[in-house]
This record gives sequence, C-alpha cells and structure tokens, in this order.
Amino acid sequence: MGTTGPVTGNRDDGWTFRARAVTKVYANGVRANDGISLHVAPGEVYGLLGPNGAGKTTLVKQVIGLLKPTSGQISLGGHDLLADPAAARQLCSYLPQAQVPIDSFRAREAIVLCGRVRGGKRAEVEKRADELIEALDLGEWRGKRGIGLSGGVKRLVGFAMVTVCPGRLVILDEPTNDVDPLRRRMLWQQVRELGDRGIAVLLVTHNVLEAEKAVDRVAIIDNGRLLAEGTPSAMKAADRGHLRLQLMIAPGRDAPQAPPFARRARLAGRTLMAVLDEPDAPDGIKWAQEAVASGVAEEYALGATSLEDAYIELTGHASGHEDAGRR
Amino acid sequence: MTMIAAPGPAMRRPAPPERWLRGYGRMAAWDIASLRLYLPVLSCVLILQGAGFVYGMGLLFADMPQSAAVFVSTGAPVMNLITVGLIFEPQLVAQQRMQGSYEFLQALPVPRSAAALAWYTVALATALPPVVLTLLAGLARYHLHLAITPMVIPAVLLTCLTGVLMGLAVAHGVTQPMAANLISVTLIFVMTGFSPVNFPAGQLPGWLASVNQWLPFGSMATITRSALVPGFADGVPRAYAVVAAWAAASALVVAWAQGRRG
Repeated sequence: MGTTGPVTGNRDDGWTFRARAVTKVYANGVRANDGISLHVAPGEVYGLLGPNGAGKTTLVKQVIGLLKPTSGQISLGGHDLLADPAAARQLCSYLPQAQVPIDSFRAREAIVLCGRVRGGKRAEVEKRADELIEALDLGEWRGKRGIGLSGGVKRLVGFAMVTVCPGRLVILDEPTNDVDPLRRRMLWQQVRELGDRGIAVLLVTHNVLEAEKAVDRVAIIDNGRLLAEGTPSAMKAADRGHLRLQLMIAPGRDAPQAPPFARRARLAGRTLMAVLDEPDAPDGIKWAQEAVASGVAEEYALGATSLEDAYIELTGHASGHEDAGRR
Repeated sequence: MTMIAAPGPAMRRPAPPERWLRGYGRMAAWDIASLRLYLPVLSCVLILQGAGFVYGMGLLFADMPQSAAVFVSTGAPVMNLITVGLIFEPQLVAQQRMQGSYEFLQALPVPRSAAALAWYTVALATALPPVVLTLLAGLARYHLHLAITPMVIPAVLLTCLTGVLMGLAVAHGVTQPMAANLISVTLIFVMTGFSPVNFPAGQLPGWLASVNQWLPFGSMATITRSALVPGFADGVPRAYAVVAAWAAASALVVAWAQGRRG
C-alpha cells in the first residue's frame, strides 16, 4: 500500500516519548502506578504487558491527559504533556480498550471525520483512509453504518480512525480484541508500518503471544510497578536452551503433578505449562503421552519457550491466550 | 503555523483562533454525524412534549382564560429549549461512560469550549423546529395573537445556551452515569411542576416563589415570554441577569469538570 509521509525508520529525531518515575495514587489509596519510567523512540513499537489491573490503562490515561500523576513527568519531544494536556491530545492518538462510538457513522466516513478532527487535510485524509480500508480488508463495510458492524470490524475501523492522522505517539489498548486471525495479521502489519514511518507506538496488551511478534521492546508491569524491560529476545534469554511443554487437561480431570525434571511449571486455566531443559525433551514427551493415554489430558504440545514464559515467571499470571498452544 | 507530524496526512497545529474555529466546525460535523439517527427522533419527542402539553392543558378547561392560554402557549416552547440540553446531553454522556467511549471522545484534539459550542449549535438546531411547531400549536389551539419582538433572538439563544450548559455541567461533573441521569430528570420535574414556566409565580406558595426568583427556569420563561407577548411579563432585566448568571456558573462547572484529571 502507498504511504503519504516519509519513511523515517526507528530513530530518535527529537520526538521520543518519556515517562519518568510516574506514580499514581488514587483518592481511595490504590497505588495504580508506582515509579514507572520508560521511553519510546520514534519508529519503535513498545509493548506494555501486564495482567488485568496491573496499571497499564492508568498509565496511558495519564499520557493523554485524562488523569494526572501524583508525581513524575511525562513528555513527548520537547512537550511537557502534563503541563499541556491540549498538546498531549494533539500529539497522541488513543484507541481505548472499549469500542469507538460509531453507531451512526458509515465506516469510511468515521475514519475520514476522525482524521479531519485530528487536523488532517481532507484530500490527504481521504486518500489515507482508502489505503487503510484496503490494507485492513474493510472494503466490504466501507459504506456500512457502525451499528451493523461486528465487534471485530468496529475494532478495525477504530484502529483506522486513530491511525489515519496519528500524530507522534499512537497508543493502542488491546487493538486486536474481537478481530479475526486473518485481519489480526493485517493490523499488526499496519502497526509495524506506523513504526516504519517514524511514529512511536505504545501497545497495551495482556496478549503476550501476539505482542511478541509485533514489538521492538516490551515492559512487563504488575501491581503498578515495572518488573522488567527489554527486547523480546533479551526477555527470553533466561530460558535459552529450554523448551515449553504444554499439557491440555481433560475436562473434569485434575491436573497431574508436573514431571520431576521440569525446571518450573504453572497451571493456567486447563493448561499445565512446564519448562524443560532440551535434553529432557524425550522424557517430557513420554510423560505427556502417558497423560494423554490415561485420559488425564487431551493433547500436548512441545515448543520453544516464548515471551509468555518470561511473563508468567514475572507476574504469576497467564496471558490472554491460555489456549494458544493448541493453535 | 507549526507542522507537528510528518508521518501520514500532515497534522497541523495552527494558531489558537484557527484551531478553535476548525475544532468547532469539525466537532459540529462529528456531533451531527454521530447523532443523525437520534436527532430527528429527539425533535419528534420535543414536538410531542410541547404540542402535547399545549393541547393537554386545554382539556382541563371548557374555556381556558386568555392569560392562562398565553402562559401555556409561551411556556411549552421554553420547555422544549431547556429539555434538549438538560436531558439529552447527560443521557448521551452517561451512555458513553457506560460503553467506555467517553475517553476516546475526550482524547480528541479539540478545544473543550469549541466542542461545547458545537454541541450547543446542534442542540439549538434540533430544538428550534419543535419550538416553532409548539408555538404554532398554541396559537392554533387558543386563537392567540403574538407580537413577536427582535428580543426573541437573544431570549431563545440564552435560554437554550443555559439549558445546554446546565446539561453539560451535569454530564461532565457527575461521573456516575445513573446519578447524572437522575439529576437531569429531577431538574426537568422541577422545571415542569415547581417552576413558573407554564403558570404565574403567584400560583406558587410564597417560599417556593421566592426560591424560584433565584432558579433559572422561571426566568427563562420570563425572558422568552416577554419577547413573544410584550408587556406580559414583569422583571425582565432581572430575569436576564439570573439566566446569564446560571449560564456563567454552569460554564465554570463544565470548565472545572473537563479540566480535572483525577
């Protein structure tokens, strides 16, 4: 698809987003953010991972001026976003976790009007809207009203609305919710393209498996604190030379004890996830096959460890796709 | 004029007056597009409210006194003007809060005052046809003759503006959707049954008439009625002052509510 702006790549051209020691304590005493510091360079896709209630949404609401930190600083380039929330709204575009309000709009109209409200010129916005509709395979719904669209299509229209004229920082809160697998790939491609155009992307999700493929760097936060930060590869480094064995427990059956040679194991929903040393793989397969044969488990999967393993280790929570191993 | 984003369609951050005007125009377009399924229905509801009230009150009397007919026929359009702002916006924002879309709209890069004025424009355009039809219904039902003066323009504009600002104050000042809905409905009941909008203040108990000297609804009716039937209403300058004070106070509440950041 065509582009309407220069491709700037991943570089710091003065528009780096920075949060410094951001702490948010609500009036009821809940400490939603506790000294969070991070930065996102232009062109970088930065994943903010964490379980529900970790403080991710609180952080992004402070970025766009809907909440004010108890202490700390938030800036984008030379702009102090806390002192100038109007600049924050101009420079940042935000896709919230909830659906955008487009019941009365036709899909293309919503994208174009949002681009116009964000300050784009009509001709450029219309051209870019058509590019996004094509790139996200939304052509069949371009003239349909939002009230008749499925949740997934609405989500994609919302994504197009906030990225048609994106500013310098795009904040996406669970952008793939309700989106079908094929169009998820298209959406992630567009997220990458935002980065390629020099826009900083802050991706908020608890879907670690998807985020791993899309992000340049990730931060894992829980209970308001930043637990770890780095590239997905660096985050997985601790598990290099290890394999992940997933055992899908049969309905009505109790999970078996993890094999004694497992380095660690956790039960996430109906899935027992164990991390093994590579030499223990044959024993792991044998153990899993016996579990299936005895009816305790329905199936198993053995594969490379992922970012999700690091995430689980740090937070103690499984990510949004506990059944991902079966796909 | 500063270019602040190269990627994608160029997003300009123009000088404040241009930014405000552009925000006003585009938010008005947004409001019209986002409410296009509902605004015609709202207009119909207002017509039913106004014309229904005018005709319904007539059923109480075999021969309605002329002064009562004037009160009813000039009060019902005022109810239209107040209701559109006082009821619709709080309900709309309450729905947005419950659906989670409130934050998306608050994050749009439009000056708050421009967005508020855009909504006022849309609300006024929605209310005016029902106001005219309600007035015509009253004239037809009671065979009245009005002597409409140019003061009808500031009276209608100020009455609708105050209703809209009060509605915005409730919508953005009360964060609990159910509470906001209850407050706006309560205010409508106060307007209908306990304020001298459709009847003279002298019909109220003394204490309630005194309270109403400081409440906006009776004064809104006074300024509008005085422009439709010159000489029929007393205390018009004071009524303008009271309504303007409520508009200003409501605007301050809106500014505070939209400026606070938890």
